Amino acid sequence: MSEPQRQHPVAAITKALDVIRGNLITILILLFLGGGDEDVFLLYWIVGLIVFLFIWGGISWYRFTYQVSEGELRIEQGVLIRKKLYLTSDRIQVIDISAGVVQRLFGLVAVEIKTAGSSSKAAKISALTREEADRLKDMLRRAGDESREAGADEHADQPREIYSLGQRELLIAATTSGRMGVALSVVGAAFSQIDQLVSDEQLYRFIENNIPRSTSATLVVLSIITILAVSWGLSFLSTLIAYYDFEVEIREKELLISRGLLERTQLTIPFNRIQAVQVKEELMRQPFGYASLVIESAGYGEDKGNSTTLFPLIKRNALYTFLKDVLPEYNVAIEGENRQPPSRALRRYLLRMTWWTLPVILILWSILPYGIYAWGLLIPALLLGYQQYRDAGIRSEDHTVILSARLLSKTTAIIKKYRTQAAELKENPFQSRLELKDFTVYVASGNQGRSFAVRDLDRADAAIYWEWMRQEPSGPSSDEELENGKDGAAAMPVPED
Amino acid sequence: MRTSPKNKLSASAVKAWRISTLLFMLFLLSIPLFLWMYHYFGAGTLSVWVILALTISLVIISGLVVLFVPEIRWRRWSYQIDEHEIDLQSGILIVTRTLVPVKRVQHVDTRQGPILRSYGLADVTISTAATTHRIPALEEETADAVRDRISKFARLAKEDV
Repeated sequence: MSEPQRQHPVAAITKALDVIRGNLITILILLFLGGGDEDVFLLYWIVGLIVFLFIWGGISWYRFTYQVSEGELRIEQGVLIRKKLYLTSDRIQVIDISAGVVQRLFGLVAVEIKTAGSSSKAAKISALTREEADRLKDMLRRAGDESREAGADEHADQPREIYSLGQRELLIAATTSGRMGVALSVVGAAFSQIDQLVSDEQLYRFIENNIPRSTSATLVVLSIITILAVSWGLSFLSTLIAYYDFEVEIREKELLISRGLLERTQLTIPFNRIQAVQVKEELMRQPFGYASLVIESAGYGEDKGNSTTLFPLIKRNALYTFLKDVLPEYNVAIEGENRQPPSRALRRYLLRMTWWTLPVILILWSILPYGIYAWGLLIPALLLGYQQYRDAGIRSEDHTVILSARLLSKTTAIIKKYRTQAAELKENPFQSRLELKDFTVYVASGNQGRSFAVRDLDRADAAIYWEWMRQEPSGPSSDEELENGKDGAAAMPVPED
Repeated sequence: MRTSPKNKLSASAVKAWRISTLLFMLFLLSIPLFLWMYHYFGAGTLSVWVILALTISLVIISGLVVLFVPEIRWRRWSYQIDEHEIDLQSGILIVTRTLVPVKRVQHVDTRQGPILRSYGLADVTISTAATTHRIPALEEETADAVRDRISKFARLAKEDV
């Protein structure tokens, strides 16, 4: 592929759609402002805009060329401003192949290429045939491997094993999805706008006709139930679409995650980029013994808040087998000899929840009829606080520290000592009085970092782990560490009383 | 756990911080100033007493903050750097102790604003892949030495992430 190549002409359409998507808010505002009596005029505007966008898309398709030569991916693009982007293949960390709705209509795929490091760059070729994409990927990988090590492993790309999410698990995952919170706020916002469509009188009449003897209390309860039901429906659907046909392929050097119904996403995660593993036990899944796995990886992407779902639903007791197979390094018992916050910390956990709930209660109390019942929220809040206290803990094993904490879901982070970017001990005056400290560990994830904390540990316990963190991490390089695994050549002393 | 890190910041730090805090407080005092102007030249409806009380309390608070906060901050601050780790302690009310393995350091730089420069001081900023840390108000020579030291140790323990 020494000749510069163009994309499939469908790229013109995706480009036009991208521009619309990127400026959606501006367009909506213009539409609202332009609304009114001059509907015909507005129509001209819209048609003109669409024609303009497609011409723009056409030109940008014409100007966009890519080629692989001398171990580089060279992309030239730009309608008004010409841009040249050269990515050397040994710096390329991730090659993602995905297919959106438009691409699927024409049987095409999009390829996204990302490099590592603080000055990370990303390039996207938005429409090309599957074969072309695979060829490109092969070429870039080969060029990269050649410069990295002469005798590259031929079988590096062969999947060692594939894990996939069954239909039943998918349904369970969707039913118990933790996306409820997001959906809830969307529906709540939409619901507050409903009076613009339906007048209060109409609504009251509708309710009075269908539910005789209703009071404003019924209305409140009914609204709450409707909001909950609709948001549950949304979260069910969005999870179903996002995790449809979920697969993890384990390869020699990387994991390949593919998922999605409408938009098929593929993610490649090299093992040596993985910074931490999280076991999440969501509130609605924990009672059924299910958890999900999330990995933090460094150096690429703005997607998904820099964490990637490794597996959306897994039985707690199948967890170790899975980890042993997929990420043997992270296969440590997540429960065991925990250091937990002392009993004098309990009141801080309870108070914290109270402070958070109080404003909500006061607002509900003042705006809703029967809002006084909002004080009932204090009970689940305090129960949650107690559970947070019970679930907080810290533990170490060989070179690994395991932090568990709960916000709503219980999260257990498994972090290798040689992956920690920083550790922190914090103590405010209230904590000083009780001799407590917060312990935080930072790992790299995406462009920023991510932190995991255990709050209100006993001062002495916190000090033990602080010392443990200070001890010289084993292995000069993380890559070597990966290969050595847990052979214990430089086993770290585990803090013990 | 060992005691606090052993190196203190420059003694001139307090003076420099007093000036920067003072500037910030003067900026805050522009709020009552606006209220006064609003009262005299505009159709102000606020009672004079409210504005007066606000001004006086702001002045008192500013005075206390300028007098004590830099002092406390300086007393809390200490740092220590060896070939394996950077150990920092800071805080005014909330005491934070931070540990950064030297291997993790991606880059170090020194920076200096006009106030710090007039006292011959500089900040050292340490970045990892996840966090940024700052050792403030060191003597210029110390800052340069600290920066070079960290960068040397980091090079010795070179790593990919």
